[in-house]
Amino acid sequence: MSITKLAAPLAIALAISFTLPIINHQYQTAYASETGNSQETELKHKIDTSKLSGVDYWIADMYNNDRVMYAVVVTLVMAVLGTSMAFLTDLVLKALGLEVSKISHRE
Amino acid sequence: MFDIHLPIAGIDFNILLLILIGFCVGVLAGFFGVGGGWIVTPALNIFGFHMAYAIGTDLANIFGQSIGATKKHSKMGNIDWKLGSISIVASVVGLELGSQLILKLEKIGDVGSIVRWCYLFLMFSLSVLMFYDYFKTNPKRVKVNSKSSDAKGGTDPPSTRSKLAERLHKINIPPMLSFPTSGIQSVSLWAVLLVFAFTGFLSGFLGVGGGFIRMPALVYLIGVPTAIAIGTDLMTVLVSGAYGCFTYAMKGRVEIFAAFFMLIGASIGAQIGATAVKYVKGYGIRLLFAVMIAFAGCSIALEQVYKITSVPAYQTAAGFVLMGTAVCLTLIVIIKLTVEFRREKRIRS
Repeated sequence: MSITKLAAPLAIALAISFTLPIINHQYQTAYASETGNSQETELKHKIDTSKLSGVDYWIADMYNNDRVMYAVVVTLVMAVLGTSMAFLTDLVLKALGLEVSKISHRE
Repeated sequence: MFDIHLPIAGIDFNILLLILIGFCVGVLAGFFGVGGGWIVTPALNIFGFHMAYAIGTDLANIFGQSIGATKKHSKMGNIDWKLGSISIVASVVGLELGSQLILKLEKIGDVGSIVRWCYLFLMFSLSVLMFYDYFKTNPKRVKVNSKSSDAKGGTDPPSTRSKLAERLHKINIPPMLSFPTSGIQSVSLWAVLLVFAFTGFLSGFLGVGGGFIRMPALVYLIGVPTAIAIGTDLMTVLVSGAYGCFTYAMKGRVEIFAAFFMLIGASIGAQIGATAVKYVKGYGIRLLFAVMIAFAGCSIALEQVYKITSVPAYQTAAGFVLMGTAVCLTLIVIIKLTVEFRREKRIRS
């Protein structure tokens, strides 16, 4: 029951986090091209990828060339790692006897 | 030793330090129902992490750690989904109003100092209110609560609520809502919206996540039991963290490798912190929360002195006060969890 309940806000969280910034990004890009004002908060610098390899290179290259994809990857990595680490920690805590269930609230 | 190259930020950073910072903030986030950004950002900064990436990296970590903590609180019945959904909507409106006000004020002049004084005032006021609640009000409440809980075996009786919450519940402007999970039979939707819009406004005005404002607001203004306030607040932190993570990553302000290692520690810490809520009574959590924001207030005061005097030692001291507080409170939560768990085990056997 709890996982089902968590799935809805997590889905909403991901939907909001993906759509609103993209709309905002598109709007700000259009606004910047019309007015000539750059987005002050966005980091424009490029990472030197010549000395990088493997995952480091892949991430840095994505960071340089496709910020939207970089943001999607960051958010998904955080979601997957957060969920799996929580699952593993929960297993360890259960093994130690620290299993939780519905509690009565004591003020 | 244990240094890792962070390609986005272009620096080398100690991997164990990242996991340790993550672990401390995770324990506190799971235990208090906050994001913990006000600890991570200065902590990273103290150890030489670029400020340009600190906030975004922290938000990515907050998003990841709050998934597990929210799940655990959900399992313990600590989340009022209905109240949390209203909180998200109203907080966004309030946050937008707060940030718009800041943008308008910035056109007039430098508002940074005013914001910091307001932040300082809020921290110390909240802290004083919560200490007052603990030392003056709680002994009576605890007696009432224990009797009623024994009789009902469930959520708090109305008598445990603050006077402010009781007054808020008397506002009879329809539509009236009930929040059975929080033990609230009837409260005006407008009153609830006003509270969340106000806390959202404050977080927008101060430029903070707002978990440390929302959690006490849920307890003292809406009358939600402490454990449910923590879980419900974490639900809001989860949504705002996801949004913050993505939007800051799009601006190139998230160092994914640092966030990754911090999240390993934070996810473990958040599970431990959330589990500890089971073993600590509401007034104990509120006391530790008051201690935490009192020291956070001291840290902001030192930061303010630095802004006035430009002596770097004050800024360093501010960071160390914050880190010291985080480490001490993490240890207290873990010790409390261990002691209470052993006691429970003894009683069972």
